[in-house]
Amino acid sequence: MDFLWSYIALAEIYVLLGLSTNLLVGIAGIFSVSQAAVFGVGAYIVAYFLMHEVMGFLPARLIAASCCVALNVLVTLPSLRVSGDYFVVTSFGIQLLATAIFVNWTAGTGGANGLPGIPPPDLFGFPIESNAQLVLLCSAGSGLGCLAFWLIMRAPFGRLLRAIREDELAVAAAGKGVLRAKVSAAALAGAFAGSAGGLYATFLSFVDPSSFDLDASILLLTMVVVGGARTLPGSILGPFLLLALPQALALIDIPTSIAASARQLIYGVLLIVFMLFRPQGLAGEKL
Amino acid sequence: MLALQLLVNGLVTGCALGVVSVSFGLIYATTKLFHVAHAGVYTLAGYLAWSAVRHDVPDVLALLLAMVASAAIGAGIQHFLYAELERRRATHLVVLIASLGTLAVMQNVIAAVYTPNILQFPLPWGSRMASFAGVRLTYTQMLTVVVSLAAFGFTLWFAHKTILGKQIRAVASNPFLAEITRLRPQRVYVAVVAIGSAIVALPGVLVPLDLGLQPYGGVTPLLTATIAMIAGGIGSIAGSFVLAVGIAVLQNLSLLVIPGEWSIGVTFFIFVIFMLFRPTGLFTRR
Repeated sequence: MDFLWSYIALAEIYVLLGLSTNLLVGIAGIFSVSQAAVFGVGAYIVAYFLMHEVMGFLPARLIAASCCVALNVLVTLPSLRVSGDYFVVTSFGIQLLATAIFVNWTAGTGGANGLPGIPPPDLFGFPIESNAQLVLLCSAGSGLGCLAFWLIMRAPFGRLLRAIREDELAVAAAGKGVLRAKVSAAALAGAFAGSAGGLYATFLSFVDPSSFDLDASILLLTMVVVGGARTLPGSILGPFLLLALPQALALIDIPTSIAASARQLIYGVLLIVFMLFRPQGLAGEKL
Repeated sequence: MLALQLLVNGLVTGCALGVVSVSFGLIYATTKLFHVAHAGVYTLAGYLAWSAVRHDVPDVLALLLAMVASAAIGAGIQHFLYAELERRRATHLVVLIASLGTLAVMQNVIAAVYTPNILQFPLPWGSRMASFAGVRLTYTQMLTVVVSLAAFGFTLWFAHKTILGKQIRAVASNPFLAEITRLRPQRVYVAVVAIGSAIVALPGVLVPLDLGLQPYGGVTPLLTATIAMIAGGIGSIAGSFVLAVGIAVLQNLSLLVIPGEWSIGVTFFIFVIFMLFRPTGLFTRR
């Protein structure tokens, strides 16, 4: 496919993930390094259903999103009940556990080799095969995601989440359920990540564990941090900028053996520098 | 017999893990920061010792060098990053993200300099075996137990008997009150992160003597150690050490029924049980 188009489609999928991470980390203020794991669960579920021709793309994606919602609720509810730092441990645990499952459960996930040959998506029975159609599908997907995010942030629920970030105690004193709002935000984040996973699996027609490991979670966090927390423009800007970074690095002559570490190193540096000098990111609000 | 061997292996791993847990607990209880980059310090200590050994530095000196360097790095992270963020009134979340960024930087600098492959220490004595009643132990494993128990004892003594230890516990229990009584919390924080980093250098060097070095190998031990710290009760040095040994033993015994690649699942299961039924840990005082 034309390189520019595939970059745009991929960035659009990551916009959905950026929205998901932004909901969880930026808006609800829950530090998480398991976003890539949730993303991966969505991708593997859709890949499985399409490869075994159990159902079409849309219902598969719906099931994937529901599973990710359930996963995020199950994960956040017990730990947030205690304290935010317990969720740090939980999210590291979930991420490492998910990687272990993706790599070792060869029967279901293809192990380290991944699942090749995922069939192209379809909409109500019409197959989407040409590249232009795929890009359109990704655009529609992320467009709907952005619209949903915008609507949620305008709704009373979005205002409640903002209020919790400002002053959790005051919100609790006003009789609002803080825990419930946070878990709902996590559930929404799961829905975004799961449906992004479905798009990702069909767009690349290949999934493997390396797209969903701890490094991928760090990348997602970097996207939100660089783009800017808590805003729609921030969640769009971050993925587009950071996915262009590997291409920019390819222009500089870096030996291929250290290219991956160099990329992750830059993400780390970006995280530190932005936290120190610009915690609101390029187009965001105070983190 | 296999069960006995696994039990002993668990005890050895547990001692090393206990030291990681104690060092992390010391930092966490005092600064209240979830110091994710501690995993990076743990990994880096091993690599520094490896480099020293490769340059024909005597083994013991290499270990000491790694400890000093780790202490300096830990102090640097606290002074130049965490304290700076504190001055800028950063939220807890911001500090956590910065800490994760530091971890990513440390791991990938290591991977770029030393390659991401597993490195083995060029020390022939490390893999020499001795066997007691059918249980085989390497010299490294025996050394790990001795050093870990010593480090554990030292930390207990340090926290309860020395002036700096008492200051640390004072700041840990009430930083505001400590500040009024002319203790400077920020200075104490630098000291405690430095000491915690020096202590974590011990398992950071000793564990790779057996298992080899890997740039991304620090996260799982830190996670297990954190779980032990929570299960043992935050602020309880003995509790986190005992629980780390317990978790490592359970993890090793589980190998009898569950293949090794799922051991992270066993650890995490223990954490979930604790989180649901005893979130304050076993050894917390009211």
